[in-house]
Amino acid sequence: MSVGLEHYLILSAALFSIGFYGALAKKNAIIILMCIELMINAVNIAMAAFSRYSVPVLLTGQVFIIFIIVVAAAEVAVGLAIIMNIYRSRETTETDKIDLMKW
Amino acid sequence: MNLQLFIPELTLAIFAIAVILLDLFVQRKGVLAGVSVAGLVISAGFTLTMWGSEPQTIFNNMLAVDSFALFFKLLFTGIAILVILASVDYASKLTNLQGEYYALVLLSVLGMMLMAAATELISIYVALGLTSLSLCALVGFLKDSKSSEAALKYFLLSAMVSAVLLFGMALVFGVTGETQLSKIAQVIQAMPLTNITDNPALVLGVVLLIVGFGFKIAAVPFHMWVPDVYEGAPTPITAYLSVGSKAAGFAVILRIFSSAFGLPEWLSLNWGMLFAVLAAISMTLGNVVALPQTNIKRMLGYSSIAQAGYLMVGLATVGILPTADVLGQSAILFFLASYTVTNLGAFIAIIAISNKTNSDLIQDFSGMIRRAPGLALALTLCLVSLIGMPPAAGFMAKFYIFSAGVHSGLLWLVIIAVLNSVISAYYYLRVVKVMWFGEPTSTEKVFSSGALRFSLFITSIGVLLLGILPGLVMKLTEAASKMLAFLP
Amino acid sequence: MIASELIWLIFLLPVFSFIIVSLFIRPSVKPTSKIAGYITITAISASLVLSLWTLLTVMAEPKHELAVPDFSWLTVGDLTIRIGLMIDSLTAVMLVVVTVVSLMVQIYSQGYMHGDPGYHRYYAWMSLFTASMLGVIMANSLLLIFFFWELVGLCSYLLIGFWFHRPAAANAAKKAFVVTRLGDFGFLAAILLLYTNTGTFNIPELHEMAITGVLAGTTLTWAAIGIFAGAIGKSAQFPLHVWLPDAMEGPTPVSALIHAATMVAAGVFLVARTFPLFVNSATAVTIVAVIGAFTAIFAATMGLVMNDMKRVVAYSTISQLGYMMLGLGAAGLALRQEGHVTLELAKAAAAIGIFHLFNHAFFKALLFLGAGSVNHATNTFDMRQMGGLRKVMPWTYATFVIGALSLAGIWPLSGFWSKDEILAVTWDTQRVLFTLVMITVLMTAFYIFRVVFLTFSGQYRGSDPGSHGQEHDHTTHLHESSPVMVAPMVILAILAIISGFWNITGSFDAFMGHGETRSFASGLFGIFTHPLPWIALLVAGLGIFLAYAIYGAKWLSAERIGHIFRPLYIIFSRKYWFDELYENVIVKLILLKWVFAALEKIDTKVVDGAVNGLANTVRTIYRIALLNGIFDILQRVDGTKIEKANGVIKEPNKNWWQVDGIVNVMANGVTASGEALKKTQTGQLQLYGLVIGLGVVAIILVLYFAG
Repeated sequence: MSVGLEHYLILSAALFSIGFYGALAKKNAIIILMCIELMINAVNIAMAAFSRYSVPVLLTGQVFIIFIIVVAAAEVAVGLAIIMNIYRSRETTETDKIDLMKW
Repeated sequence: MNLQLFIPELTLAIFAIAVILLDLFVQRKGVLAGVSVAGLVISAGFTLTMWGSEPQTIFNNMLAVDSFALFFKLLFTGIAILVILASVDYASKLTNLQGEYYALVLLSVLGMMLMAAATELISIYVALGLTSLSLCALVGFLKDSKSSEAALKYFLLSAMVSAVLLFGMALVFGVTGETQLSKIAQVIQAMPLTNITDNPALVLGVVLLIVGFGFKIAAVPFHMWVPDVYEGAPTPITAYLSVGSKAAGFAVILRIFSSAFGLPEWLSLNWGMLFAVLAAISMTLGNVVALPQTNIKRMLGYSSIAQAGYLMVGLATVGILPTADVLGQSAILFFLASYTVTNLGAFIAIIAISNKTNSDLIQDFSGMIRRAPGLALALTLCLVSLIGMPPAAGFMAKFYIFSAGVHSGLLWLVIIAVLNSVISAYYYLRVVKVMWFGEPTSTEKVFSSGALRFSLFITSIGVLLLGILPGLVMKLTEAASKMLAFLP
Repeated sequence: MIASELIWLIFLLPVFSFIIVSLFIRPSVKPTSKIAGYITITAISASLVLSLWTLLTVMAEPKHELAVPDFSWLTVGDLTIRIGLMIDSLTAVMLVVVTVVSLMVQIYSQGYMHGDPGYHRYYAWMSLFTASMLGVIMANSLLLIFFFWELVGLCSYLLIGFWFHRPAAANAAKKAFVVTRLGDFGFLAAILLLYTNTGTFNIPELHEMAITGVLAGTTLTWAAIGIFAGAIGKSAQFPLHVWLPDAMEGPTPVSALIHAATMVAAGVFLVARTFPLFVNSATAVTIVAVIGAFTAIFAATMGLVMNDMKRVVAYSTISQLGYMMLGLGAAGLALRQEGHVTLELAKAAAAIGIFHLFNHAFFKALLFLGAGSVNHATNTFDMRQMGGLRKVMPWTYATFVIGALSLAGIWPLSGFWSKDEILAVTWDTQRVLFTLVMITVLMTAFYIFRVVFLTFSGQYRGSDPGSHGQEHDHTTHLHESSPVMVAPMVILAILAIISGFWNITGSFDAFMGHGETRSFASGLFGIFTHPLPWIALLVAGLGIFLAYAIYGAKWLSAERIGHIFRPLYIIFSRKYWFDELYENVIVKLILLKWVFAALEKIDTKVVDGAVNGLANTVRTIYRIALLNGIFDILQRVDGTKIEKANGVIKEPNKNWWQVDGIVNVMANGVTASGEALKKTQTGQLQLYGLVIGLGVVAIILVLYFAG
């Protein structure tokens, strides 16, 4: 069996779904953040696979991935700062306890 | 490549850094606001000089410099100037972090400007990232528990959604092999129609893009963050989010959907109808849930969901009649401009009032006409404009966008929208009623700073000007919309 | 010959005075100063002079039309909206009516509103009102008319609620606003319908299309009915008449200007303005005639029994507006019977209704100002507290009687001439309606002279008007009003006598487009060669005699008569229970009990079932985390239902934004759904994410099945 585009895509879709499920199901904000990173990396896999299979001569997809990684890194930095901030005021990072504002 | 065309953005970046550095040396923090405003004015000045020149692209077709982008750049700098003026009182509470505050505002403006100019998926994503990250930090700037909760919600949801958006971009890239919007359009138009209709990957990609930007513009069902974040964020930032972030979202949507997915008709008809349905749901839900709200910021949050609904009427128009003319596009731009002055005005008045009363509850605005006649009058004007009553800007905006809707045969949607305007009148007028006819809770007058009054004055003039002499801005919006057809 | 720039000034002068008073005078000058009044009066006097000049110019024109160059206001795509004026005989007449009455009322208000803390605010709004009313009259496109139409509605709202600290005034203002909005909805729909079918808002163009038959059939009929719906709302015709009597909570000069002479007549004006559209639809003119005649008698019956002087006059206004509508409708029917409809004839047919509008404006404003003058002295509008005022207030008495005679239609006062024309044209076209309005003539004469006798003759029945004042806190004794109030009444009284003479020679009809002229003397006396005026005079005289017999000479006891006709008395004095009907039956019973209950049933059976089913499915999939979230929502949604079932709808903040009647319950219905939907916003981050995810899935499913 040769590994083709669809295998990568299935892997990517599976990872994305796992990440999405985790982001919705987990309560700890840090774990949610990790799950979101998982989703982004699933996209990276898809992007690389598409790039390799549909436009093999160009590196558009790979370049895109580099930008995604950069933005994702910045995202983690800001995200952790925000989570730290809320931990200081509430002493918790459980999202279901963070519902001061509703309705 | 001509770096001159990038000067507005460069100016902002330089000033953002300068503000942070200056913060270390200056004692009187008011200077920082002045410097930021100066940076924005200079940037806007550079932008103005480019108006009317031939559309061009820079950075290997990654960014366009055309009237469409310039229109939004002017809009964003205008918004940011008003937001900063409105923040002066507010930021003085954050003694040692003011530099960051203003710098983040400048950076987010930079991000939005790039969003409006981007013509390529990568640059769109990077610009989006810059915007949302700086906005996240601004939302959580207060460090009290509401503000940090709002930041967490905004951050996690927008990160989640941007992952979804990326997946959509990956799919579009995978199907077309291109990231340039114009080239994507070429590839799609070259495909046989059956290839498109039988290609769920492309449709899924388009849907995921809609989700990603639907989040930005607060369309139902991607709206859930809006009320919480609006309530928790510092009020100037709420104002900023409600107009800036929304305008940026619409800029990107217009750019992507009218240049990349404008043809074939099957595709545009589908996303047009999708936007029409989302528009109907958004305005209904936003208006209905706004009715029982007691917190005015939260109420305006739901109202902004509803306003996104009205705006999406324009998007539906664009989808259903993509090639006919630029009525829909131009109507969206005009609506955005009028919504910007109106909503900013409303928020500035609220900032001025709640600075003194320390409350965002509607009942605490009772009898405000006697405590702060000017503020109450301006707020009334803005609320009247949000209802869409003449002679305020909102009337012309709604009229324009609804006539575009009727023009493209979306009569049912326009009827829903008009009914919604009627519903919305109740909750807006409720505030007016409380302010005019309620008993004041205290006899103390509410005074506001010069910066606030100045910015409020500007927005009120804007509301009236756009309502009475809409032709001036309509010329700009039409010129800007014509540029959407321009493909680098 | 008047220059077109000057015509614009007619409208712009009150705008300027509004700007000056509201922006400069009000913040800086003490409310005791009379400067705001002087500015307004100056501006409106100038408008009046220009209006008269316009009238003369238009009369001199061969086609009675002035071409005023218009300019383009905005361009939306291929649609260009132009702003322009339409100056024809109709406009010219209306300009004079509005500016004359407005000027008189502003002068009168100098006395009436003197010392009120809201003095400047009053004049600012009065200026704005006058400006927008002039805008309605002069605009040449339906869109522009609608713009000003809404603006007069807004001013009316502000002025009815002028003493907003009184709950009755605030509620009346709201009621007026909401009820007229119902009609405006129809008007707007008609405008959109016309625009989608013709691509223009321009009135002359629409006239042209209606006459040439480009615009015809059901479209035309529906458009005309929609426009008429707007007119029903503004002119307080049945069934949207309920707001006008309540609107009497505003200051009396406001009632005289807005709710007697001008704004309420805007409905009649609108129908007249678009009359070529109406004439081409048999259905539309018939509806206009029937609604008008019915409103005339319907309102008159209620006027018979009111004890509040101002309300009697208010009901008489509704009734007289009904006459005008009938005049328009019947003239339209007559024109259709003749069969040959041209643009000129169609426009000329509106002359009958407009002539009554013209006369009515003066004598009705006079009656209101008289009522205000009486109130100024007695601090009440309750006629049971009055009596014998003839001696103390001779001027008020004399002018009021002139107004009353004119209203009753006594020869040779103005009301006689226009009412006679309406009766004549109704006799020619519709005998049933004729009978109705002939009965109304009797009632009109009766109720207005009931007011005259109760107020001015006999002995004074009230206590000494002390400080328990209704509108003012003057501690005064009975006295005649100051000259500044009497003078406008005298002028209006003179106008009420002579305004009808305009058409004695037939020149009003000729001016409006069609009609032969005759000599003054033959017009004045020649009318009695027909039997109809004799009958009308006789009937009106009978009404006056009855009023005298009961309230003046007391030959008959009012109590006894009231006792005999007790069921009728109850029906009339409770206003046919229309307020209750709207509030309780339609809104509370039908909407709440049935519609909302049905919705709720659907909600519980279908939606809950679906949600429960979904919940079960989801539970099996997301076993751990999501269970909480979804059940939380379900519980909360159920929770609101229990609240709803127990005490209609629970509203935590009801007391501070309560709205009455229709609004209340409509708002409650929507608010209840808002409350329920609000609870879905649980503050749970994960739920928000889940909704986004479900949204994506839903969109994809919809596209999959639909696309």
